[in-house]
Amino acid sequence: MRSVLYFLLFLVIAVIVTLLAAILGDEGSWYFAWLIGTTMLVLISAAGAALLDAQEEHAAAQAAAAERKPL
Amino acid sequence: MINGTVVDLSRIQFAATALYHFLFVPLTLGLSFLLAAMETVYVTTGKPIYRQMAQFWGKLFMINFALGVATGLTMEFQFGTNWSFYSSFVGDIFGAPLAIEGLMAFFMESTFVGLMVFGWERLSRGQHLAVTWLVALGSNLSALWILVANGFMQDPVGAAFNPVTMRMQLTSFQKLIFSPDVQSKFVHTSIAGYVTAAMFVAGVSAYYMLRNRHLDLAKRSFRMAALYGVLATIGVITLGDALGFVAARVQPTKLAAMEGLWRKEVAPMPFNVIAFPEQAEQRNIGKVQVPAVLSLLVTHSLTGTVPGIAALERQAVGRIQNGIPAVQALEALAKNPNDAAALAQFNAHKADLGYGFLVQRFAPDLNNVTPAEVQEAARDTIPPVAAVFWSFRLMVGLGLAMLAYFVLAALYTLRNRIQKKTWILKVAVWMIPVPFLANEMGWLVAELGRQPWTVFGVLPTWMSASTHSVGYMAFSLIGFVTLYSIFIAVEMYLMVRAIRLGPEEHGGSGDAPPQTRPTLAGRTVPAAAYGNKLEG
Repeated sequence: MRSVLYFLLFLVIAVIVTLLAAILGDEGSWYFAWLIGTTMLVLISAAGAALLDAQEEHAAAQAAAAERKPL
Repeated sequence: MINGTVVDLSRIQFAATALYHFLFVPLTLGLSFLLAAMETVYVTTGKPIYRQMAQFWGKLFMINFALGVATGLTMEFQFGTNWSFYSSFVGDIFGAPLAIEGLMAFFMESTFVGLMVFGWERLSRGQHLAVTWLVALGSNLSALWILVANGFMQDPVGAAFNPVTMRMQLTSFQKLIFSPDVQSKFVHTSIAGYVTAAMFVAGVSAYYMLRNRHLDLAKRSFRMAALYGVLATIGVITLGDALGFVAARVQPTKLAAMEGLWRKEVAPMPFNVIAFPEQAEQRNIGKVQVPAVLSLLVTHSLTGTVPGIAALERQAVGRIQNGIPAVQALEALAKNPNDAAALAQFNAHKADLGYGFLVQRFAPDLNNVTPAEVQEAARDTIPPVAAVFWSFRLMVGLGLAMLAYFVLAALYTLRNRIQKKTWILKVAVWMIPVPFLANEMGWLVAELGRQPWTVFGVLPTWMSASTHSVGYMAFSLIGFVTLYSIFIAVEMYLMVRAIRLGPEEHGGSGDAPPQTRPTLAGRTVPAAAYGNKLEG
């Protein structure tokens, strides 16, 4: 039942977003660009932080491997 | 007629309060979405450092938000107190977006800000993230409505003057909110806020890295700010171009002033990089030009041209002469609303009604207007060219400098070598004021460039003000400037203090969620006593 409700919720959201995109695409192209652009900005900066975590974990793993290597 | 000094003092008062207020607003607009980005990473990865980041930058956001609201409140009242004729004339159109802005700012945004600040221990991660996103959306949507109102002042669409009620009335709400000027202005302003927040976060993070403090927080914040900043700066420049393109069509006098364009040039028109406009002589003293760039910028073609100030003045002469019968018809309709001949005369000349109002400043008796007075009014349609020209150049120059900086910062932070480049970090600290200055310059271009109108082409500034005394205006101006200067000092003090204290003072060590929570009485209570929903 919970899955069905989630499915319906996301379906409604998808319909609203599609309608919004269709209206804004015609009437307010800059508003539409703002919605898409802001979302992309947030996601790209968030991805940058996740990439930094990965880079640091990789560097730490390399440093640990170098320490374990026998002289 | 309203005393000219009162009008000038009213303008200075509004400009002063708006410029002060606009120091706070862009940071709120941009930092809210950056907080949403940080918290999104916290919720998706579960790493406590991102919670600490969201809480620390959230604290600085709150300081700025509170003072932004305090400075914004008075501005809405100023429309009624200092600009009563304006409020009466366009209140039917201007009032709705202003009311929606108030609802957005003081109901939606403020409610969710409260939940964001006090909800860390009370809401689940997902709920708190939703609240933070709603704060960001609320603050930017509140800006949308004030810019809808401002956009109407720049390009009055979706409304018509009613000669019976003697004021403007809304004809199309859709045209009002989807006007090209409103759209591009909103996105330009909102994204300028993102750039401001990116530079602020990058600068403070660089300060920490230079002092080897809070490195985990600083490195991640700098990375996020640099990426956010580089994309936002590209966006703000793109939207600046869109605004210029719109201005070429709807506000040609503003565009001509921005470009120091006195006479029409042959296509492709050169761009004045540096010039010293001399308004009295209608020429530039010395100039450095780049060939063909102006045509590309303002018409997006190499064959396009825009009129110069001399041609715009000639056009204004014709519009003033056409506007005089419209005002005379209004005077007749005021005495007898059923005067069919006056109504027909009004309808024939209503397109230039504003220009008829404009000439009344120089010729109060419209039955005896001389050609010299018409010429004087035509000359008055041109905004202060040097101020607009240099404000625009400063804004663009600072924008390009920030783009260059963010590209460099993003490059080094993506290679994870930013800590070794101390000069880039030092520059970031010094660049914190740059977006604030660019924002103020942008506001000056928009508002000075609209002069001599409060509503472009419709209502002149000289007749929009209230009939206060000079003493009253001077007294209230001094009061506002003093009060707002105190606000700025308080903001600076609180911000610097919070930054010096650092994140440990705001949200635990960052390794784990705090085990206690503050109460209103200043005591602390174990979080477990409330059922810690943090990890829920």
